[in-house]
Amino acid sequence: MTDFRRLTGIFVAALGLMLSTSHASAQQPDRGDEPGLVADDGYELDPEWRKTVVYYRTTEAPGTIIISTSERHLYLVQPGGRAIRYGIGVGRDGFQWQGLLNITQKKEWPDWTPPPEMIQRQPYLPRFMAGGPGNPLGARAMYLGTTVYRIHGTNRPDTIGTKVSSGCFRLVNADVSDLYDRVPVGTKVVVRQKPEL
Amino acid sequence: MRSFRGGLLIGLAIAVLVGALAVIYEMYDTRTLKRTIRRGEVLCGVNKGLPGFSIPDDKGNWSGFDVDFCRAVASAIFDDPGKAKFVPLDASERFKELQSRKVDILSRNTTWSMARELEYDLYFPAVAYYDGEGFMLPRSRNIDNALDLNGSKICVQSGTTTLLNLADYFRANNMKYEAVKFDKLEDVVKAYDAGKCDTFTADQSQLYALRLNLSKPGDHVILPDVISKEPLAPVVRQRDDDWMMIVKWTLYAMINAEELGVTSKNIDEALKSKKPEVMRLVGTEGNYGEQLGLTKDWAARIIRHVGNYGEMYERNIGAESKLKIPRGMNQLWNAGGVQYAPPMR
Repeated sequence: MTDFRRLTGIFVAALGLMLSTSHASAQQPDRGDEPGLVADDGYELDPEWRKTVVYYRTTEAPGTIIISTSERHLYLVQPGGRAIRYGIGVGRDGFQWQGLLNITQKKEWPDWTPPPEMIQRQPYLPRFMAGGPGNPLGARAMYLGTTVYRIHGTNRPDTIGTKVSSGCFRLVNADVSDLYDRVPVGTKVVVRQKPEL
Repeated sequence: MRSFRGGLLIGLAIAVLVGALAVIYEMYDTRTLKRTIRRGEVLCGVNKGLPGFSIPDDKGNWSGFDVDFCRAVASAIFDDPGKAKFVPLDASERFKELQSRKVDILSRNTTWSMARELEYDLYFPAVAYYDGEGFMLPRSRNIDNALDLNGSKICVQSGTTTLLNLADYFRANNMKYEAVKFDKLEDVVKAYDAGKCDTFTADQSQLYALRLNLSKPGDHVILPDVISKEPLAPVVRQRDDDWMMIVKWTLYAMINAEELGVTSKNIDEALKSKKPEVMRLVGTEGNYGEQLGLTKDWAARIIRHVGNYGEMYERNIGAESKLKIPRGMNQLWNAGGVQYAPPMR
C-alpha cells in the first residue's frame, strides 16, 4: 500500500515537474511550489528563522498560535511571558489575510489537491499529489477553519522568511512536526497583518 | 543744542547697553534648540565603540542604534542626518560632558535610573532600548528557562551590578550557583569559551555581541529571560523643556511610525494617506511640528532619512545586523513587546 502510494506520488510528481518545466516560460514562475523536489534536510536556516524561545507578552492564553505576516514569524504562546517562535513563509502580496480561526484538522504527510483558484493561476500544478517527501505541503498540515489555508511543511526550506505562498503558512518539516505535536485540534490561531497606510 | 547732544549720548549709551546685554544673553542662552540651530549641527555624545550601538569604521563614519537615533534628531531639525556630529565619551565622563554643554544629547547606551536623574540634574526622555541581564549557555544543554539553572557554575564579571542581580535572582528562587568571577570582561568570555562554566551572565545586548567572538557562536543560545531592568535611554539636561520634547517625540514618532506601518520606503505614499493617524504623524494634518519649534513635516523627515523604530532596530542590532538580537521586549506593545508610544493627537 505504502509502496503503491509512493509510486503514485513519484509519478504524479514527475508529471507535475514535466508540466511545470514545459509551462515555466509561459506562466509566471512560482518559486514557492516545486512538486517532486525532495526537501534538503541539511538546509540551515538563518538564525532569524530558526526555532527559538523568545520573550513574548500577550493577553492570549498559552497554547494560542499568533502569526505575524509582516515579521514572517509564528508564535506559539507559552506560560510566563514567552513563546516558541518559528520562521515561516507567507502569502505573496495580494495573498495575505488576517483574522481569527481554529485548527480544524491535522494530517501527517498530507496529500495535496491544489484548490481550483490556484490551478487557474498556476495551470502547470498537478491536480493531485499524494503525500510524501516531494509534496509541497511537507510533513504535516494543520487546517485553518473551513478555509483553503493551512499551516504546513515544505519541500523548499529556502522559502522560509519570504513572501511566496498563495496564503498558506509554511514551516520547515522539522518545525512543522514539532508544532504539530504541541497543538491539538481546536487551537486558536490569530493571523496579524501589517497596518495599511 | 547741548541738550540735543546730551540726549544723543544718553541714547547711544542705552543702545550700547542694550546691544551688550543682547550679546551676553545670546552667549548665555541655555536653550539647546537655539544653540543647535545657530551652530548648524547636533552634538551627540556616544560610546567610543560598541558594536550595534555606536562604532566608527576605519574612515571615521559612525554607525549603530544610538548613532541613528541622534541622526533622527538632526533630521527632525535640519532635514539632514549628516548634521549630527559624534563626540565619543567614556562612561565616567559622559554626565559631566553633558552638563558642561560639550554635547547636546547623550545617545550612549545609558541606563535610566532615579539616582542618575536626581544626582546629575539630568532627564531621560524615553526608553530607546529595554536591556537587562540574561544568560548564555551551550545549545547542547537544552535549557530554555532561567529557572532550570539551579546548581550552575556561572561566569560573571566582578564588581558589577550584574553580580548583585545574579545573587538576588538565585536567592529569590531558592536556587544555588557558583560564581566564577573575573575582573575583565574578556577574561569572562575566554573562561566561558574554554568550558569553565555552565553559563555566562551579562546584559543581553552584551551577550549577543560577545557571542560573535566565541569559537563556535552557533553552538550557544541566549535565554529569553531577563533578570534585571536596564532601560537604555537618551539623556538631556533638566530645565530645557523645548529640547527635551524634541528628543522625546523623535523617539515616539519613530515608534508610532512602525505601529502605523510607515517606513522609509513608503513615506511618499504615507504623505498622501487619508488615514487621520498617519496624517497627524507625517504632518499633513495638525501643526505639532510647529509647536515643537520645528516644521510640519518634522516626523516625515525622520522617517525618510533614518526610518521607523523597527527599521533602526533591525538594521543595527536585529535580523539585518551581525548581532541578530530578537526584538523581545523591544517589540511593539501589540506584537509581544513593551515598546509603547503615547498617541500623537
